[in-house]
Amino acid sequence: MVDRLALRRAGRAVAPYLLMAPALVLVAVFLYGVVGGVLQGFGIMPFLGRTDVTFEYWQQVLTRPDLAQSVSFSFYLALASSLWALAGGIVLSAALCAVRQTRLVALVDVQIPLMCAHILVVLFMVSLFSGSGLVPRVLHCLGLVAAPSDFPSIVGDASGWGVLAVYAWKEVPFVAFCTVALMSHVSDRFGEAAATLGASPLRTFFTVTLPLCKGALMKAFLVVFAFAFGAYEVPFLLGPTLPKALPVLAYIEFQNPDIANRSVAMALNGVMALVTTVAAIAYFVVLKREGKGR
Amino acid sequence: MSGQEPEVEAARAASAGTEGPAGGGRPRRCRRRKRNGAAWALVALQALCVVGPVAIIVLWAFTSAWPWPLLFPETFTTRGVEELFGPSQRLGEVLATSVGIALACALLTVVVATMAAAALSRYRFCGRDVARFAVLVPFLIPATVFAMGVQVAFLRAGLSGTVVGVVVCHAIVALPYAALIMVDAMQAAGSRLEDQARLCGAGPVRVWATVTAPTLAPALLSAASMSYILSFSQYFLTLLVGAGKVKTLALVMFPYLSSGDRTIASAYGIVFLAATLAVFLLFEVLLRRQVSREIDYFNG
Repeated sequence: MVDRLALRRAGRAVAPYLLMAPALVLVAVFLYGVVGGVLQGFGIMPFLGRTDVTFEYWQQVLTRPDLAQSVSFSFYLALASSLWALAGGIVLSAALCAVRQTRLVALVDVQIPLMCAHILVVLFMVSLFSGSGLVPRVLHCLGLVAAPSDFPSIVGDASGWGVLAVYAWKEVPFVAFCTVALMSHVSDRFGEAAATLGASPLRTFFTVTLPLCKGALMKAFLVVFAFAFGAYEVPFLLGPTLPKALPVLAYIEFQNPDIANRSVAMALNGVMALVTTVAAIAYFVVLKREGKGR
Repeated sequence: MSGQEPEVEAARAASAGTEGPAGGGRPRRCRRRKRNGAAWALVALQALCVVGPVAIIVLWAFTSAWPWPLLFPETFTTRGVEELFGPSQRLGEVLATSVGIALACALLTVVVATMAAAALSRYRFCGRDVARFAVLVPFLIPATVFAMGVQVAFLRAGLSGTVVGVVVCHAIVALPYAALIMVDAMQAAGSRLEDQARLCGAGPVRVWATVTAPTLAPALLSAASMSYILSFSQYFLTLLVGAGKVKTLALVMFPYLSSGDRTIASAYGIVFLAATLAVFLLFEVLLRRQVSREIDYFNG
């Protein structure tokens, strides 16, 4: 009898580790890839028999003239698109909470954008905004644009507005997806209490609903930021030739047949991982604070 | 995502009478209508932003000539569709690979994420905070860094260019999304119903099958469709890990985007959207069946 109890207690102690194990294996594979790559940036490539640490490639990367430009361009893309996604996501989520949400509304407004791959959204934006796209045509009919070339090019423009347009289309619904369930719950329970006490709808939204959704919003913001900072496809297809986004720059070096360039690519990846790790620490702080609030 | 709608709807219906600020009867109703009008306008605007581009893609897929400044194509063609379904594109094979990989990824991710979520929400154990953070790490370090770094290791392990390798990598990317959904759902559901079932003498397997799974069905399907979508739309990771041997729809579509054959690119776009939508609606049907069963269990 005692033995069975002890056995059960031992089972309960071991169970969480067994349940976590598969997820931790996947994360371990992920970290193995990331760390292995970063080590290649230090010249450590056991598969080629190189095991000596060298800072040569990091030095090369950190002193190259286009690095600062690339880092700041990627940072700008990530920050602009995540801020826009946050603002738009809050508005969309609030609007979805205020109307009676039907299956169809949820499908069209949130789920279809989630379903579209980024490269598909690139196609959308190109058919809308490129020289031969629909928007310049409409503007021409209104007498605002004379020729296709008068409209700022969506591909390769130095401001990267094409990239931002794709991320806005894709990530605003993503932020709304992350918050809408919580927001409708909060505004049903606490928002109503505030309204009963005489707060105006706007005041209720800004002093009650929004602060209670802050945790979910911060999470969504950081996910979008880290994604936009490290994504390859969209800046490759729509970004300017110079400055290149950091992932595009890294992949160009990676593809070079010379093995030294691979180390340069990995050093660039190291820079990328460093920036997002800072974001990760911020994320951890947010999680901690949220955990305390509970 | 849409699983809790009946609840939300019921809550809203119940609260409809008391919504809005204090004040006279008539102005209150007026203001509320105005507010709802603005919300409806925003929702409609978003719907337009979504449906508009999709409609243009459909138009482009059948367009052969659309000269500048015309607002509507001049001549139409079935060239895009013909080429797409022609023997050279092997669309069937590519679609089967994509859907297969995405379904396998969804299954693997949901199982792994649900187990992790159960540990994180039902147990207190040493290192829980670290585990909670570890699961979310793939959110924070870009998949591009992982893809380039893991390439050599996968080559040496014989996983490069295999479907298994691609599925594992996609599952890693999808894991944090699915884990967040499952942790939230499990914390919201609590373990009271499960405890009751245990007290009534049900074994762990029976508790899972008759109580936990039906309660969590909306979240499980939400996590599954999220993982499916992430896998289906992955380009860079598939390119590097698949090494050109694993051809998914996103991979085959990409060259047409950069080369600028918009008719074929658009035709691919439609197939992409249709394939995702079909599987999504299948999940939705499964969910509805589950939800109606759930009502029998707990409210009937």
